[in-house]
Amino acid sequence: MRHGKYPFIIGFLAVPVALYVTFVVAAYLQTFQLALTDWSGLGPITYVGFDNFVTMWNDELFWRSVQHNLFLLFALPLLTIVIALVFAFLLNVGGGTRGGITRGVRGSKLYRVIFFFPQLLALAIVAVIFGRVFSPDQSGMINGLLPAGWGPILFLADKDLALLCILVVLVWQAVGFYVVLFSAGMGSVPQEIYEAAALDGASRVTLFFRVTVPLLWSTIQVAWVYLGIAAFDAFALVNIMTVERGGPDGATSVLAMMIYRNAFEFSQAGYASALGVSLFILTLAFAALTLRVTRRDAVEL
Amino acid sequence: MSNLTEAPVGPPAAGAKSVGRRPDVKREVNAYTGLAHIALFLWAIATAGPLIWVLLSSFKTNTEIFLGQPFALPDSFSFETYVNAWNTAHVGRYFLNSVFVVAVSTAGTMLFGAMAAYVLARYRFWGNRFIYYLFVSGLAFPTFMALVPLFFILKGFGLINTFTGLILVYIAYSLPFTVFFLAAFFKTLPKEIEEAATVDGASHTRKFFQIMVPMAKSGLVSITIFNIVGQWNQYLLPLAIMQGAGADSKWVLTQGIANISTSAGYQAQWSTLFAALTLSILPMIVVYAIFQRQIQAGLTAGAVK
Amino acid sequence: MSDVFAQPEWDRRTLLRRAAAVGLLATPAVSMLSACVSGGSDEPQDQAEGEKSNTNPLGVDPKAPLEVIIFNGGLGTKYATDVDIPSYNKLYPEAKVTFSQTTEVGKVVQPRINAGDPPDMVNNAGAGLMDMAAIVKAGQAQDLTDLFNAPSLDIAGKTVKDTLVPGAYDQNLFDGKPYVLNYAFTVYGLWYNAALFKKNNWTLPKTWAEFTALCDKIKAAGITPFAYAGANAAYYQYLAILTSAAKIGGTEVLKALDENADGAWTAEPIKQAAAAWAEIGAKYSDRKFAGLRHTEVQLQQNQDRVAFYPCGSWLENEQAKDTPAGFEYAVIPLPSVTGADKLPQTAIYAAAGEMYYASSKGKNPRGGMEYLRHMLGKANAAEFTKLTKVLTVVQGAADGLTVSPGLTSGNELVKAAGSDYFGYRWPDLYKKLDTECQAATNQLMFQGGTADAFCARMQKAADAV
Repeated sequence: MRHGKYPFIIGFLAVPVALYVTFVVAAYLQTFQLALTDWSGLGPITYVGFDNFVTMWNDELFWRSVQHNLFLLFALPLLTIVIALVFAFLLNVGGGTRGGITRGVRGSKLYRVIFFFPQLLALAIVAVIFGRVFSPDQSGMINGLLPAGWGPILFLADKDLALLCILVVLVWQAVGFYVVLFSAGMGSVPQEIYEAAALDGASRVTLFFRVTVPLLWSTIQVAWVYLGIAAFDAFALVNIMTVERGGPDGATSVLAMMIYRNAFEFSQAGYASALGVSLFILTLAFAALTLRVTRRDAVEL
Repeated sequence: MSNLTEAPVGPPAAGAKSVGRRPDVKREVNAYTGLAHIALFLWAIATAGPLIWVLLSSFKTNTEIFLGQPFALPDSFSFETYVNAWNTAHVGRYFLNSVFVVAVSTAGTMLFGAMAAYVLARYRFWGNRFIYYLFVSGLAFPTFMALVPLFFILKGFGLINTFTGLILVYIAYSLPFTVFFLAAFFKTLPKEIEEAATVDGASHTRKFFQIMVPMAKSGLVSITIFNIVGQWNQYLLPLAIMQGAGADSKWVLTQGIANISTSAGYQAQWSTLFAALTLSILPMIVVYAIFQRQIQAGLTAGAVK
Repeated sequence: MSDVFAQPEWDRRTLLRRAAAVGLLATPAVSMLSACVSGGSDEPQDQAEGEKSNTNPLGVDPKAPLEVIIFNGGLGTKYATDVDIPSYNKLYPEAKVTFSQTTEVGKVVQPRINAGDPPDMVNNAGAGLMDMAAIVKAGQAQDLTDLFNAPSLDIAGKTVKDTLVPGAYDQNLFDGKPYVLNYAFTVYGLWYNAALFKKNNWTLPKTWAEFTALCDKIKAAGITPFAYAGANAAYYQYLAILTSAAKIGGTEVLKALDENADGAWTAEPIKQAAAAWAEIGAKYSDRKFAGLRHTEVQLQQNQDRVAFYPCGSWLENEQAKDTPAGFEYAVIPLPSVTGADKLPQTAIYAAAGEMYYASSKGKNPRGGMEYLRHMLGKANAAEFTKLTKVLTVVQGAADGLTVSPGLTSGNELVKAAGSDYFGYRWPDLYKKLDTECQAATNQLMFQGGTADAFCARMQKAADAV
């Protein structure tokens, strides 16, 4: 039915697009505009062209922040996906084949519930909790478990460990969701494939690499992109959990943190917007690149 | 057929190879199972541990929290901090506000997101791709960049400090993710049933609500969960919007907790903070545990055609 | 059969590339939006005005409503709701005062300023406070000259300005005019538990040598002699360093910092102070404090695990709920560093803090000013001190109040100092320097930094401002 198609399309799109353009697009576009000014956040707006971008290029903290973001960008998706895949595998297939039915290890159902908990917590809450886990004192959860004499580990106050701590927390929170996601994907792998593989004498390791991973490839790809976007953010965590909010001494500074401080503390909303534009470009570049590099023909079943 | 259910299958094909390999497989199974159990158990501890700590700490005094052993039992189990959090810190009211806002927002997001995603995924028309990419590019911006401009926009509409304004904003900011994933999902649904319905004379709208939506249930379920969680934990948007005289009666839970948290920073009421945190986490856990089976089923069922 | 999130028809690579193109193409449309974000309207809105009189020296409209917003932090909000607002209403019973509180002043007030509808009186404080210099520069803060020239609310025969502690008025000035009221008067020094010291018969040090000797004794007793919170309150420590510097070289040292004079940070007194404190950090503190927050360190002091803690006089109130019985807060000035310090040992850092201002572009700026006048009334100021255990800038308002040991000790500190107190404002004027100094301080105290490195680093940052 060709007639009546357009009214339908417009009718269905009208509200969502209107909402989106009014509240989201309009707001973000103004960021692009503000990037070209030296607005302090209050008072008159004066245009300064690309000055902010020049400052940014010369700002040492900017490059360090980008470096940290890139580190998270590679480590977060990698660790999360690997761990989530392994756990999903164990929970769905790892119990071996009994009576012809592949199943997860014992207790899978309980594990699946527990593993999802971190996803339910706001990042701010997680930050408070892990602030205690990593406390450089005897009262910290990790330091409290170490035998006396091993000395308290400084964690977040240690220049070298701080960023790793952030990474650990991000992974901790993300794994649960991806376990569920990959479980759903694995659930769609037909029984016959596993049987055939078992016939050929495949060990579970082989099963994992030769069967499960290729079949889940598009899901893994999407997960990678989405985790990368999360790595570019990491703001809430750094803001609440780190020493000197981005320290010690800039060791955990990330772009989002820089943007926030410049906008809300240093009264440099123009510069903050320029940083925001950079973040936007970096995020898009990452996503495009990832999809290009990980492109594979989807395995058809 | 999903291999996660208890459906019976035929007897495994017998073959000399598998028989011969059985001893090896058994040894390998034991080693892997042992490792698997350890890994899973450790992760479960790592996951549940911090939450138990929050629960314990909600009963402790500051000195116990910061100077004592982390998992030591509290000196006393009075529920004073919970009562305090509920009343003085108004956690009860904020909780209800959050429930209301998230319920309406998620419903709105799913409805409009699905409508938009469906049209973008299955109909060709001029401007289709432009609109689609417009939605997707929204994923690449940090939300707090939009706070100041957003305030102006809402003020222009007179929506500051209104639930209406907050809900509309929640929906708008949840649309990119929703449209992105649902469009991909709608793309995969088979055309045959739809064509059959067209032949039968169903209108587009009918097709959508009565055929496509039920078929897309698993995708809808998973995205709904994600939206609920995301909106429940949203902090920056309500901060910018729900302000001004008398705003605190309309605050959502995250704002209430942030308030206690900052007060905790200044007046050191950490146990009340943890009590409030527990109150905000518990419902989520309970709901998830109860609906866990449906959620799992919803997620995997869609894979079956 | 495909899994839930299968590929759409067009591949994702082009999808995101095109999304970027869309973003850039839409930028020309930006010009239409330039009307949206504005820097605050310049048209004066109708502002409330009334007849001036003896009881109404600022010409407040007695019927006009007033909106105040208070930061809810260490001082709470009771002094506003229970003292100042009723006081305002006593004089102007027909004026409706709307009160709201927040913990994020900047995020809540800034958009309203930009929209041209700011609250009348703003308590600009807390971690999320706005840059006061920027507010003044944008013309959003009311000129308070009239306020300070008006007669005091309840001290007969004196103008408001005269009732203030000497030197407090100057801290309100921007370019020679007062635009803000710094209300709380805080004294800073080394805080300790008087009961603990009495028990161990420890004498309080006056010179640096006595200080280090005492620290040795304290360390031998198994207590950490000195600590500060590196994680979020390193500025307590750099305040101590700079206080010592001022004692060595006089208050010109601090003035140079405020003016960001050339080489201000590499001045000899600062180097000496940094070196002295670096030694304390290395010998008498512990690296783990670099990762602890201020509440945690303060709790440790309550449990007698830390002896000396550099802080301001809000400390006692902040720890009120956790201080065990028998703990007596007391404070001493920093010990003299060299034998030839320019200022006496009793000299302290004391400053007015906690900013309150009236919005010049609000609906009722005169009401805002009048509210401030009420805060500065002697009786109201005394109530404030009773509720918060913090002194105000109103001279003598707290005389005779014996609310707590810490307050008494602080008061004595002020009296002993006489007119030898000072402050600085450079962290408010150059916010990036504040961040830099906190990092530099932690490096100095906990990471074995040297005084030269500290000064050089700060000078480099100051030159870039």
